Amino acid sequence: MINPGDDLTAKTAGLAICHDCHKLVPATGKQALPSCPRCGAAIHLRKPDSINRTWALVLSSLILSFPANLLPIMEVDFLGTIEASTIMDGIIYFFQEGSYGIGLVILTASILVPCFKIIGLILILLSIRYRWRSWMRHKMLLFRIIEFIGRWSMLDIFVIALLQVLVNFGSLTAISATTAAPYFAGVVLCTMFAAITFDPRLLWDN
Amino acid sequence: MACHGCDLLLESQAVEPGEKLCCPRCGETLKDPQPDSINHTLALTLTGLLLFPFAIFMPIMTLDTMGLENSGNIFDEVITTWFSGYWFIAILLALTTIIFPLAKLALLFLIALNLKLKRYHSSLHLLMRSYVHLDEWGMLEVFMIGILVTIIKMHHMAHIHYDTGLFCFVGLLAATLGSSMMMDKDEFWNLIENGELNGELK
Repeated sequence: MINPGDDLTAKTAGLAICHDCHKLVPATGKQALPSCPRCGAAIHLRKPDSINRTWALVLSSLILSFPANLLPIMEVDFLGTIEASTIMDGIIYFFQEGSYGIGLVILTASILVPCFKIIGLILILLSIRYRWRSWMRHKMLLFRIIEFIGRWSMLDIFVIALLQVLVNFGSLTAISATTAAPYFAGVVLCTMFAAITFDPRLLWDN
Repeated sequence: MACHGCDLLLESQAVEPGEKLCCPRCGETLKDPQPDSINHTLALTLTGLLLFPFAIFMPIMTLDTMGLENSGNIFDEVITTWFSGYWFIAILLALTTIIFPLAKLALLFLIALNLKLKRYHSSLHLLMRSYVHLDEWGMLEVFMIGILVTIIKMHHMAHIHYDTGLFCFVGLLAATLGSSMMMDKDEFWNLIENGELNGELK
């Protein structure tokens, strides 16, 4: 187990790392600088109000994920009959068709990844709140994965937008986005911003 | 220097291209220098910028079903989504697949060109900061997977012709990914800092 209290950090030395260019800048005492001499970004020891903002964004995405998953996201109009389907319907369709690979890709991108992000961030936030000091490197890895996979949930939105343009044969058949689409995009945006506002260094602080 | 992942204070070390410096406490990558970073970045961003208009405005593919044909490009996609009433989605699409990827390429091209010509304009650090913030909001690679999913979804129902736009898009994606891999942020920031300091002395 790594004990975070033992190591000398930039903060204890009165230094801050610039958020934008990673230059080390004096942040406390007489030489404290309000902005980075190299890139001009504002200097903070830690991202301002990081935990509250991340909580707010994580909870927003949790709330938005209900309409995003329960409302239909796509409508197929075939000879005047309109059939609406939710994200889960689309995935089940692929599994019934026998396209397991593609079904798995969509299941991962649209359902597993958002769940993973929300649960992962809540775990990390709770671990700071209750000072859980074990599994430090794993929590860092978890955060890096959350940061990396954030954008991949946009996949479903891109597919629907593409289908909307390509499958547009007038009265014969057409596909269009419906009510759940903006909520789903909201979930993706909120989780991406949550990862941006979170400062992983808070995990290591005492 | 200090680790931007866990704030551990470290002694600065010189790292050669091909080597990587990681934080001993949290494992964050701290330095990952690239050989000949400026020239490679310049070449790849220029390629990307040349391919850009074709990837956006040329048709990606054509669906052919029961004698009816329909094709679409990325720009149409944004317009169609806008007029179907989902302006929020349309704005998001325009930003993540057109505006941000273009801005990223253009910014990186300008930065690399100025560093190459050793012209240290005082706004260079602002361009660089904009690039750092836009980095993860360009989503061309996600869109590429979106194209693949669409192809697999539609190939039972209609005949698909692949058009010029698709090939230009793949090229654009390769150039964008290559340029962000080749760009050595550390080296770029150091050059900008030294260049601006020297400029002030003159």
